[in-house]
Amino acid sequence: MVLYLLVLLPLGVFLARKEASLLVRLSVFVPLLSFLLAPFLLGAAAGPFRLDGVGLFYLLLTDLIYALVALFARGYFAREEAWRFYWAGALFLASAHGAYLAHNLGMLWVFVEGSTLASALLVYHKGGARPLEATWKYLMLGSVGIAMGLIGVILVYALVGGATLDWGEVRSLVGEANPEGLKVAFALLLVGFGTKVGLFPLQAWLPDAHAEAPGPASALLSGTLLNVAFYALLRYAAIMQAAGLFPFSSSLFLTFGLLTLLFAALFLFGQKEYKRLLAYSSMEHMGLAVFALGLGLPWLALFHTLAHSVAKTLAFLAASGILSVTHAKEVGRVGGLVFHLPALGIPYVLALAALGGLPPFPLFFAEFKAVEAAMRWPGLAGLYLFGLGMAFAGLLSPMAQMGFGKGKPLRGQGLDLWILWLLLGILVILGVFPGMEVFKGLEVVLWGK
Amino acid sequence: MALLNTLVLAILSTGFLMVSRRSLDAIIRLYALQNILLALVSFGLAGGELHFVLAGLALFAVKGVLIPWYLFWLIDRLEVSHEVEGYLSVSLSLLLAGLLTALAFRVGEAFVLPEAPLPQGVPVALSLVLLGVLSMVSRKKAISQVLGFLALENGVFLMALSESHGLPLFVELGVALDAFAAVFLAGILIFRIKGEMGHVDTARMRSLRG
Repeated sequence: MVLYLLVLLPLGVFLARKEASLLVRLSVFVPLLSFLLAPFLLGAAAGPFRLDGVGLFYLLLTDLIYALVALFARGYFAREEAWRFYWAGALFLASAHGAYLAHNLGMLWVFVEGSTLASALLVYHKGGARPLEATWKYLMLGSVGIAMGLIGVILVYALVGGATLDWGEVRSLVGEANPEGLKVAFALLLVGFGTKVGLFPLQAWLPDAHAEAPGPASALLSGTLLNVAFYALLRYAAIMQAAGLFPFSSSLFLTFGLLTLLFAALFLFGQKEYKRLLAYSSMEHMGLAVFALGLGLPWLALFHTLAHSVAKTLAFLAASGILSVTHAKEVGRVGGLVFHLPALGIPYVLALAALGGLPPFPLFFAEFKAVEAAMRWPGLAGLYLFGLGMAFAGLLSPMAQMGFGKGKPLRGQGLDLWILWLLLGILVILGVFPGMEVFKGLEVVLWGK
Repeated sequence: MALLNTLVLAILSTGFLMVSRRSLDAIIRLYALQNILLALVSFGLAGGELHFVLAGLALFAVKGVLIPWYLFWLIDRLEVSHEVEGYLSVSLSLLLAGLLTALAFRVGEAFVLPEAPLPQGVPVALSLVLLGVLSMVSRKKAISQVLGFLALENGVFLMALSESHGLPLFVELGVALDAFAAVFLAGILIFRIKGEMGHVDTARMRSLRG
């Protein structure tokens, strides 16, 4: 029963109505409450819901990031428009909770689609021609993509004899299912959830949505929403593994992960707007996480999404801070942040360095491990390194310009910049102590070895 | 079985007519009709099980009545012409629709699972999905894209019925709720697009590039 409560808990934010200060307090309190509550519910089950280690991991990550973003948003939004962000955010958090608690593949689909709808509201926010266009594109592409995913869910359901959609039961029944049918189903599921993860060539909505959403919303989209769809892919990868078809899904993951990496790295060059730059970087890292999954290393994929979530939340929050103090969207019109506003500039530059894969940050560790594993196929490892190098080079010049280039003195009043430093701290700790054992433990939960 | 075959063919023809018609009102009515036919198919497959009948009725209420009513209300409030503007002529749309349906029947075989209760529904379901995509990409008005999406979603629903007696009830209701929320949200966006830009023509929304 408590699990149902956990799904509904985020909606408690609506109690604050349009009272700005109360909205902030509830929006921070609710995810923190569920953060504290969730570990005690590990293993609990009710109806289609159950909380296992992997679900708990993503639930905690989402709650933590959501609380920090909600707190930061207090200083970002003008009073009168804040409620839109917090209301849409509450709907989004509720559907993310639902997705991570759902142990039923049908419910998982329902909540993933729910998170698309709620996050479309986040993108739209206040309106205007460009956000409207981005939201429309997101809604249409996202819905069509996810409808393909639903056909995949239906096929899986039919393949196990229409008996159950419970993830654990499907995993144990799927060994006897028709392998050709499963391959078709998996391809459709990859198209469906891959659209939401931002895999090439289904990514068209992603840069627009992430660039046009207000900054804190972009942080939620990149740091938490992409994980929801990736989590669904993880569950289906485990099903394919149980059916003995992992080589098939592995080759698809490797291909699309690599294509996404190369495409995103190409687009990182010559991006004039820094939020668009970060959007392409999200695509790059989701491609890398899918690649890690394709290598047969779910623990590494989990670690990569964690590291990316923290680094990208930091980068988008800092970017929204930059936008609100400079009112400039283009890289070329922002400069010298490290000297003129170090409290904001230093975490931003370091976030870009982390996203570029520099040590001691955790993405370096993740990429290093992936290259190590990919060495079995030198061509694959070579392409991977080529993509990484290109992506790094694409991030380097905006980093130099915005951090150390010419610029004017700035004042960062009203923003909670300490949140950026807190995220930076988490990032460094993750980089120095990656805690591989935890993730390998989660892999066992997922893969059932 | 003969009755079910007739129903499935009738569903396919509503899909075809939706692609060929040029009036939004006619397309919305065809959509409502398509849902009535789908509800009849699910009653036909129920085999006396009550929860199927209940699910059919609930879906009929949401998709056969509520959504069409909302769409009619929307186009009245928008005060735009009720004509569908597309990139393709009627004959070309029909030709493409025919080709896509042929394709769906050709590859549909591969999708039919051994124990499917309604194997002849599978290629029709695939056709509806493809025809929905065709309407979405070939039409300019935001609202006709929503209708294309709804037709596509019906194809998915028919797929669930044909392959496995439909999904479990609570999943089915969740899916219907999502569809309604998506249409509702799209309606709000269409109002804003009209207010912001003075038209509802998605072909003219081209400011985001690269």
